[in-house]
Amino acid sequence: MSIGEYLQVPIFQRALLAALVAGGTVSLLGVVIVMLNLTTMRFALMHMALLGGAAGLAFGASPLAGATAAIVLGSLFLGPFSERLRLDAGITGAFFMTGSIALAFVLFYKAGVPALDVFGLFTGSLLSLSRDDLLAVAGLGAAILLVYACLFREIQLVFYDPEQAEWLGVPAKRIKNALLFLTGLSIGVAMKVVGALLIDALILIPAMTAMRLSRSLLQILVLSSFFGTAAAAGGLLISMALDMPSGAAITLTGVCLLGLSVFIRR
Amino acid sequence: MDGGSCALWLSGVRAGYGKAPVLNGLSLSVKKGEHLAILGENGAGKTTLFRAILHLLPDIAGTIRVLGRDVKSREDGAWVRSRVGYVPQGQGKGRLPISVFEAVMLGRWGKSFSYFRRPGARDRELTAEILDVVGLWDLRDKDCRALSGGQTQRLHIARALVREPQILLLDEPTTYLDDASRDVLARLIDQVRKKWPLTMLMIIHDWQYARRLADRAVYLRRGRIEECLEVV
Repeated sequence: MSIGEYLQVPIFQRALLAALVAGGTVSLLGVVIVMLNLTTMRFALMHMALLGGAAGLAFGASPLAGATAAIVLGSLFLGPFSERLRLDAGITGAFFMTGSIALAFVLFYKAGVPALDVFGLFTGSLLSLSRDDLLAVAGLGAAILLVYACLFREIQLVFYDPEQAEWLGVPAKRIKNALLFLTGLSIGVAMKVVGALLIDALILIPAMTAMRLSRSLLQILVLSSFFGTAAAAGGLLISMALDMPSGAAITLTGVCLLGLSVFIRR
Repeated sequence: MDGGSCALWLSGVRAGYGKAPVLNGLSLSVKKGEHLAILGENGAGKTTLFRAILHLLPDIAGTIRVLGRDVKSREDGAWVRSRVGYVPQGQGKGRLPISVFEAVMLGRWGKSFSYFRRPGARDRELTAEILDVVGLWDLRDKDCRALSGGQTQRLHIARALVREPQILLLDEPTTYLDDASRDVLARLIDQVRKKWPLTMLMIIHDWQYARRLADRAVYLRRGRIEECLEVV
C-alpha cells in the first residue's frame, strides 16, 4: 500500500492526527523535564504506572485504568512530597522508581498477576488509538498550550531563577507542581501513543534538539513543537512507507533530528 | 526613636529557619539614604537579617519597620518586596538560555506586569536605562550563561535596580570576584549611590570595600549587632 492509500483508512487518519497534535504539544514539556531535573521522575511515573497496572489486575480492573490512576496520583503528589522532605525531585523519583517496581513484582508473585499483561502497557501504538484517546490527546494538548500562553513569563522566571521568582511573589512551587502534573499526564498519553519505552522520543528528544539551537524559552518552545511534530508525523509516514513499527520509526526520526542538530550547531 | 524617619527600623528581632533562632533580639536602625556595611563571621545571621527584612522567613518575632510600615503579614511582605531590591549571594547563571535584556526585564514582574499583563514600553525603557548604567547595554542580546563572573554580578544588580527600589540589599556582591572585577563593581555601586537616593545595606567581608562603599558599618555576632564601626 502507498502512503496515500494508508491515509484513506480511518485508523491511519486518526493516527496521523494524533501524531500531529501530540508531537506538537506534548513535546513542549520536554524543557520542563530538563529545567526541573525530572529525568528520574519520569521513570518513576512509568514504574508507578506498572505498579498501578498490576494493582488494577489484582483487583479485577483493567491494567490501563490502574496505570492511569497511578500516573495521576504520582504526578499530583511527587512534587509536594519532594518539597515536604526537602529532597531534589530526582532523588524522590529514584526512590519511587525502585519502590514501585519492587512492589509490582511482589504483586506479580503474591497475587498471581500475569506480568506480561501489565508489560503490555509499555507497548502502545498510534495505530491502536480510539476516538476517545484522540480526544484525550487533544484535551491535554490544549491544556499545555493554555498553561504556556497564560503563564509564559512566570514559567520563564521559574526556570531562570526560582529563588527570585519566589520572592517576587510568583507561586513558583505551584507552577512547578502544575508542570509536573501535566508532564505526568503527558507520560501517560505518550505511553499510549508510542509505548512507554519510547516516551522520550515524543517528550524529551524534541526539546533536547530545540535546546541545542535556541537562545530563548520562546525559541525552545516553537522548535520543540516543530521537531515533535516532524518526528511524530514524519516517523508515522516513514513507518507506512517502509513497513516499520510506528513507535520505532518515530523514535528514529527524532534521534536523527537530534543528530542533525549536533552537526548544525558545530 | 520610633523608626518613623528611618528607612529601616528593627527592634528585638528574633528569626531563623528552625527551632533555634539565627537572629537573637537584633536591633538596628538605618536612615533614609544611608549606606550601611554589615560585617560578621559566617553564620552570624547577615543573610538571615536580609531575609527577615524581606519577610521571607516563617516566624519572625520583634518589630520590623520598613519605610515607616510595620511588616507583619504576607501582604506587608509583598509591599516591602515591591520597594526593596535584593541581590542574593552566590547566584549561578541558570540553565535557561535567556538574553541579558530579558533577564533584567523579568525583574519588573509584580511591579508593572504580571499575570495577563505583559511587559510594556515603560518596562523596556527602564530596562534599557539600567543596562546602560551597569555597563551591559552592549551585551543586551548575549545569553546570560555566557557572561563572566563580574558581568553576572552586574546583571544581578541590574535585576534589582530595575524594580526602582527605595532600599537596596546587596548580599556579598564582591565575593568570588577577582580584584579587577571587584573594582569595577565598587565603581558601579558608587555610581548607583550618586545617581539614585537609595538606602543601601551591603554584606561585605572585606573591610577595605566596606570603607570605600559605606557611610557606616556594623558587626554582627550570634544574631545581634555587636558593634558599630566608624567608616573614615
